[in-house]
Amino acid sequence: MSLWREVVTKRGLLGTLVSRNLKIRYQGSAIGFLWTLLNPLFMALIYWIFIRFMKFAMDPFSLLAGVLSWQFLTMCCGDAVNSVAGHPNLVKKVYFPRIILPLSTVLANLLNFLLSLLVLIALAIIAGRLAWGEALAALPAVVLLQTIFCLGLTLIISCSSVYFRDTEHIIQVLLMAWFFMSPVVYPMELLSRGGVMPAWLLGVYSLNPMVGLITSYRASILHGPAPEWIAAAASLLLAPLALVAGLRVFMRHEPDFADEL
Amino acid sequence: MKSIEVNGVGKKFYLKHAGRHTLKAAALGLILRKKTREEFWALRDINFQVEAGRTLGIIGANGAGKSTLLGILARTMRPSSGTVMVRGRVSSLLELGAGFHPDLTGAENIYLNGSILGLSRSEINKKFDYMVRFAELEQFIDTPVKHYSSGMYVRLGFAVATEVNPDILLIDEVMAVGDEGFKKKCLDRIAQFRAEGKTLLIVSHDLDTITRVSDEVLLLDAGRIVNVGEPGQVVDQYKSLGFFKEGALVIREWGTREAVISSVRFCNVTGETLERISSNEQLIAEIKYRTEKKISDPVFGFAIAKSDGTLCVGSNTVIDNCPIPSIEGEGAVRLRFPALPLLQGKYFFSFSLHTRDQKTNYHRLDNRFSLWVDCPRKAEGVVNLGCVWERA
Repeated sequence: MSLWREVVTKRGLLGTLVSRNLKIRYQGSAIGFLWTLLNPLFMALIYWIFIRFMKFAMDPFSLLAGVLSWQFLTMCCGDAVNSVAGHPNLVKKVYFPRIILPLSTVLANLLNFLLSLLVLIALAIIAGRLAWGEALAALPAVVLLQTIFCLGLTLIISCSSVYFRDTEHIIQVLLMAWFFMSPVVYPMELLSRGGVMPAWLLGVYSLNPMVGLITSYRASILHGPAPEWIAAAASLLLAPLALVAGLRVFMRHEPDFADEL
Repeated sequence: MKSIEVNGVGKKFYLKHAGRHTLKAAALGLILRKKTREEFWALRDINFQVEAGRTLGIIGANGAGKSTLLGILARTMRPSSGTVMVRGRVSSLLELGAGFHPDLTGAENIYLNGSILGLSRSEINKKFDYMVRFAELEQFIDTPVKHYSSGMYVRLGFAVATEVNPDILLIDEVMAVGDEGFKKKCLDRIAQFRAEGKTLLIVSHDLDTITRVSDEVLLLDAGRIVNVGEPGQVVDQYKSLGFFKEGALVIREWGTREAVISSVRFCNVTGETLERISSNEQLIAEIKYRTEKKISDPVFGFAIAKSDGTLCVGSNTVIDNCPIPSIEGEGAVRLRFPALPLLQGKYFFSFSLHTRDQKTNYHRLDNRFSLWVDCPRKAEGVVNLGCVWERA
């Protein structure tokens, strides 16, 4: 709890770092913040065109929801690599709770994600696809759960990359594999339909927290099918677990960061 | 009241060998249980106190541990042993714009750096104009700092750090950058700090400034305190230790000091101590050592150089095939030169005590001893070959 208090007293620094992260990302680009929206839109468009040649149907709104949620995860993982290791001067020269660095990258990405979710919702309203009702009320909880999950991963990755420069490359490979193991560009129903996968394999597949999260986004915004209980339970359990593990790893190694950098 | 109390502080680093920063190396290390890391004590047995409102200067050669000590006081590093007690708000003057982001403007960096150092947004708002004026950057404050000169960087860094209103300010080698005008401003600001009763720790190679602004000076060498005391006296001691250059030669003393060369004496065959010698005379260098623990397979080495840095000769007990199985306690070794066939001039002797693989240097005295050699022959160069001319 003392950690919490320390972070609260340094909230000014946290705020400054969040706005710095956002500013730097779009420094010198003509349309700046719009990229946050255009990037996933283009990505979704490309996937959608590609998918049309495949043998399954994918609703563009579901696709966009998946891409946005996935983008939140990959941006966090990508920024995590440099969140501590990229600031050797700061870490060596000034004392402040180090957790502020990874926390600020996650919060900056969360802001990006919230804005792009707003655009998705606006588009869904225009197209008459928005799921009005109690499902939509669950959306903040889903966002919170993914933020917890992303923060946990960010803490682990940012700590690991202080010690191992390979972290960055390993993360990229893992993310690539993870992308195909998550229902980002394909609907969950494609797998859950009988015959595609044996039931036990589908169960294993659903242990991936992103399965439950992405399915929940689609359920709450677009009235998609609710996640299977395994997927829901996996996200609800593994996301907080990731955060606890991340906090433990990070806090344990934090005092030695200055020596390693 | 004591502002800073440091008791028995040591800081151990693990030397990074190439390749350690990969997962493969880490995994291999785990499997083979191989020690891939070598310990290195950057600081040892550091004890000192600073009264509130006093200014302590810290001097020492590069690698003496000055920055590590400041890091520990700033809480960015944790000591491997001992305790540190710091009372009050600490601010560090960041090295050359550390904490600045190159893509952000000067103004944005003031907010960033200020909040890193612990200022609130409203405090920064209040002091913003003053900081910009102090840094003399009115025209450039909306320019990204990547376009700044190094002097502008430091001015901005100094302006922000000194407005944090700390109780204790740590300054690490900042005044070296920036022009004379700004240096004077910094010194004025430091004087103002002292007048306000703040505690200052200043690391610098600028010995004149250190002598002027410090109440006390601490001399570090190879991670240990050599002396703390009256500035003029300690600075003189530092100079006399001869860390300074003599011509092109660097004179210094370093090593882990697990075993030390306690003295070196030049004498002739009859045992008379010498400061000058004739090149055809026999020279004996008596090297005394002292070690607390037993050291196996130590190697003694020597080198002779001219003041322009030319190495005349260097060798050691391994090259000269005189193995020493171990040393313990006190003792001496002798290095005998049947003659010194060198030309007239001043020569500088280095002595060393290290392990066979030279990875650990227990004690090295680089160019610490000088000897004048008289040679009847006034030829040019280094060596008196004793050659003669003949008419064929």
